[in-house]
Amino acid sequence: MEIKGSRIESLRKDLSRLLGGGKVRTEPEDLLAYSSDATRYYAQGKPEAVVLAESVDDVCKLLRYANQYAVPVTPRGAGSGLSGGSTPIKGGIVLDMKRMNKILEISKGNMTARAESGVVLANFHRAVEKERLFYPPDPQSMDVCTLGGNVACRAGGPRGVKYGTTPNYVLGLEAVLPDGSVMNTGGISVKQANGYNITQILTGSEGTLAVITKVNLRLLTLPPDRKTLIIVCDSAQLAAEMVSRIIYEGVMPSVLEYLEVGAIWLMNTYSPIPVAQDGQVYLLIELDGTAAVIAEDIGMIKSLSEKMGAREVKIIEDKKQADGIWKARKNLSPLILRIFQKSISEDVTVPRDRIPEMVRAVREIGALLGVPTGMSGHAGDGNIHPGVQLYEITPEMEQKAEEAIRLMIEKGIELGGTISGEHGIGLHKSAYIEKELGKAQIELMKRIKYAFDPKGIMNPGKIWTEA
Amino acid sequence: MIGDLEHYRGLVEKCSHCALCEAVCPVYLEDMLETHVARARVDIIYQTLYKKSMPVTPRVREIIDRCLLCTSCTQDCGGAVPVHEIIITARAALYGGRRRNPLRDYFTRTMMAKRGIKGFPAFMLAAAQKLHVAPEGFPHVSLRTFDSLYHGSYPPTGKKRAKVAYFTGCATNTMDVETGVAVMKVLGHNGIEVVIPDKLMCCGIPALGEGDITTAQKMVRNNVAILAEQEVDAIIVDCTSCGMMLRSETAKLLPADDPLLAKAVALSPKVFEVTDYLNTIGLAVEPGPLAESFTYHVPCHRGWTPTLNEAPLQLLASIPGLRYSAMEEPEKCCGAGGAFFMDYSDLSRGIRKRKLDDITGTGVAVLISQCPGCRSDLSAGLGKGWKTAHPVTLLRRAYGL
Repeated sequence: MEIKGSRIESLRKDLSRLLGGGKVRTEPEDLLAYSSDATRYYAQGKPEAVVLAESVDDVCKLLRYANQYAVPVTPRGAGSGLSGGSTPIKGGIVLDMKRMNKILEISKGNMTARAESGVVLANFHRAVEKERLFYPPDPQSMDVCTLGGNVACRAGGPRGVKYGTTPNYVLGLEAVLPDGSVMNTGGISVKQANGYNITQILTGSEGTLAVITKVNLRLLTLPPDRKTLIIVCDSAQLAAEMVSRIIYEGVMPSVLEYLEVGAIWLMNTYSPIPVAQDGQVYLLIELDGTAAVIAEDIGMIKSLSEKMGAREVKIIEDKKQADGIWKARKNLSPLILRIFQKSISEDVTVPRDRIPEMVRAVREIGALLGVPTGMSGHAGDGNIHPGVQLYEITPEMEQKAEEAIRLMIEKGIELGGTISGEHGIGLHKSAYIEKELGKAQIELMKRIKYAFDPKGIMNPGKIWTEA
Repeated sequence: MIGDLEHYRGLVEKCSHCALCEAVCPVYLEDMLETHVARARVDIIYQTLYKKSMPVTPRVREIIDRCLLCTSCTQDCGGAVPVHEIIITARAALYGGRRRNPLRDYFTRTMMAKRGIKGFPAFMLAAAQKLHVAPEGFPHVSLRTFDSLYHGSYPPTGKKRAKVAYFTGCATNTMDVETGVAVMKVLGHNGIEVVIPDKLMCCGIPALGEGDITTAQKMVRNNVAILAEQEVDAIIVDCTSCGMMLRSETAKLLPADDPLLAKAVALSPKVFEVTDYLNTIGLAVEPGPLAESFTYHVPCHRGWTPTLNEAPLQLLASIPGLRYSAMEEPEKCCGAGGAFFMDYSDLSRGIRKRKLDDITGTGVAVLISQCPGCRSDLSAGLGKGWKTAHPVTLLRRAYGL
C-alpha cells in the first residue's frame, strides 16, 4: 500500500513524543533497511516507522498507541528469519527488539536463565557455557538471531536431533499484549500444570499475538567433550538408511547433517574438508558426551559404516579444523549464492524413515521441471531442507521454482511430514498451512488470535492467507 | 577495478541479505540500527547508484560514510561480497575524490605522497599536541623520520639467508620510528639483508578510504614500478593495512590494460607482515628471556594472509619467560579506522570502550598489535601505565639489540 508522506510525518511526531526521538526512525533509507527479513527475494514491505525499543515500558507505550490507532506492528529480532515472518507487508511500525539485550540471570542451582528477548543467541551460548551450562538450540543464524525471534518462530537447528528445538526449553515468558498490558506466563519451574499453556501458545506465534520481551529458559549441563566426523556415502539411499540405522542402534549424535556433494564442494572453498570430494552424500556428524561414550559411539558408527558399505568414516581430530567445518556449514546458504543467482531453501520435515522417499521425490521434481534442486539439512530429525537454486532469474524460472516448491511441500505432507520444521510459516508457507492442519484448526487459530489481538494489529498477513 | 561501479554490479546483486554481517560490523554493534550494517548499506548503494530508485540524500551519504572499512564483513561473507570495495566505489561515485575538506585532501594527496607528516606541518602538529588542541588519539609525530635514518641496502650480521625490501609505511616513517628500527635490527640479526627502496610513496589506503581513486592509483603505480625492480625474496611491511593494500588491493586498482597490472599481480604473493615472514623463514638466533606479560589485539586488516592473525603469538612464543594473556574477542575492532576516529569521534569512542574493557580485563600492561592506527588510538584510551608496541619491538628487546 502507498503511504502518504504526511502520515509518516505524523507517526514520527507522535512516536518521538511518546518514546524519545532517538528510538524512532522514519527516513526512507531506514525504512528500506527494515523492509524484509533474510528472504528479500520473496517479498518486501515498506514500514512507515521503525521503533528501537529499549525497555518493556517502550513496548507497552508503543502497543497502546498502535492499538488505539489500529497501526500494524511487526516485531523483529535480527531480521534473519527465512519465512518472511518479520517482513512488514502491511506497512505500519517495525519494532526492533535488538536493543533489549541483557541477560538478567543465569541460575546454576535451578539450571535456568532469564534474558531479554533481544539477546543474540551466540552471546547467550557463550554466557551459559562459561558457567558450564548448555543451551542446545542452534539455528545456523545463531551469531545474529535473537532469543525472542527463536521463541516466536520455534527455531531449531542441527542439534534438534538429540536435544529438540527451542520450545523444549521455554519455561516462561514476559509478553506485552496489544492493549499494552504486561503478562508473565509460565515461570521458572521445570514442571508446570497451571491452566492453559499460554507460554507455548506464544512460542511459535510469530509475533501475531503479543510482543515477547523476556524469556525464561531451561538449561542442561555442558557436555564435557565433542567430536566431529564425516561419513562418505556413494548413494543418497545409503546415506538416508544410515541415518535411521545409526539412531536405531542407540547412537544419538548431537548433530547429524545430510550434505550433498555440491554442498561439500562449496564448504570446502570456505574451510578445508579433508575427505574424498567425489562421494554422493556426506553425513556430517557431531558426537558429544564424555570421551568414553564418544569413543564407544565412534566404534559403533565405524562398524555400522563398514557393514552397510559406506566409503569412508573420517574423524576430525583437529579442533580448529572441526570449527572451520561447522563455520562453513553455518555459511552454506550464502555460499550457494557464489554459484547460483537465487536459492530458496524449504523447511519441509518428514519422518526419519521417509527420508529416502523424499530424497527421490525432490530429485524427480527437479528433473521434471528442469530446475536444479539440492538437499542439505538436519537428516537426524527429518528436516533436510530441500531447495531450489536458479542460475538466472527469469519469470519462467521463477514460476518453475514456485511449482517445484509446491510439489515438494505436497510430497512432504503426503509422507506424513510437516511444512515447516524450524523456520515458521510467515509468508512463504501461509498458502499451505490449511492443507496440513485442516480448516477447523485454522479457524481455531484465528479465534485465538482474536482473543489476544481483537484489532488485528500484530504482524498482520502472516501464518494463514486472508480470505 | 575498485572505483568502477559497473564492475561491482553483479557482486552488489549477490548479497543474499542473510544478516550474518550483523555479528561482525563494529558500527552496527554500537549503533544497533540495521541501516548501519553491510546488507543495508549494499542495498542502499544498489537503490541509489545502480537502480536509481532513490535519490542520494544526506542520509545516504551518512550511511556510506559511517563505515570503518574494517573489512570484517568482507572476511566473513559466505557469499564473497567484497563490501569494503563496494563502499569505496560508492564513495568514489558520490564524491569524485573530494569527500572531506581541502586540508584532508592535502593530507591524503600531497603529504602521503611524501610518506607522512614531515617538515613544517610536523612541527605545527607537534606544537598543537603540546598545546592539547590536536584531536585525541592522533599519533605523535616524530621530527626525526625513519627515512632520514635509513636508506639504501643493509647487509645482515652473520650468514645471509634472504634479501627483502622493507616497505616502510607512513606511520612508521614519521610517527613510530621505533618500530622501523626494530624491524631493521631484528631482520639483520637473523641473516636477512634489507633494502629500503628510494622514492616509495604511501601505500594509498588513506586516499582509497576517501574514494580518491586517482590519488590511490598514482601511489600504487609509483610503488609497483619501484618494487618490481627489486631483486628480493620478499617485500616486508610492519603495518597490516599497508600489507593488505600491497598484497590484495593494489592489483584491483589498476585497469585491465595497465602495463603495471601484471607486475602488481606478480608482487602480491611476495608481500608479508614482518612477524608472519619471520615465522615462515624461522629465527636464526634464539632470543633471550623477557619476564613480561602481554596481550594481543588482532588488527582488522588481517584477511590478506591466513596466518597473519596468529603470527605474532607464534613468533613471540620463542621468547623464554614471555607470557601471553588472551583478551576476549582479540579480533574485535578498536574503532580507530584510519581517520574515522576524528570524523565520528563519539561512535569511535563507543567502539573503543568495548575494546578497552577487554584489554584491561587481561590484567597485563603491555599491548601488542601490528597496526599503528590501532596502537595509537588504544594507547590514548589506555592512558599511562600501559605500553603499546609492535610485536617486533619485543623481539628486539629479547635480543638485546
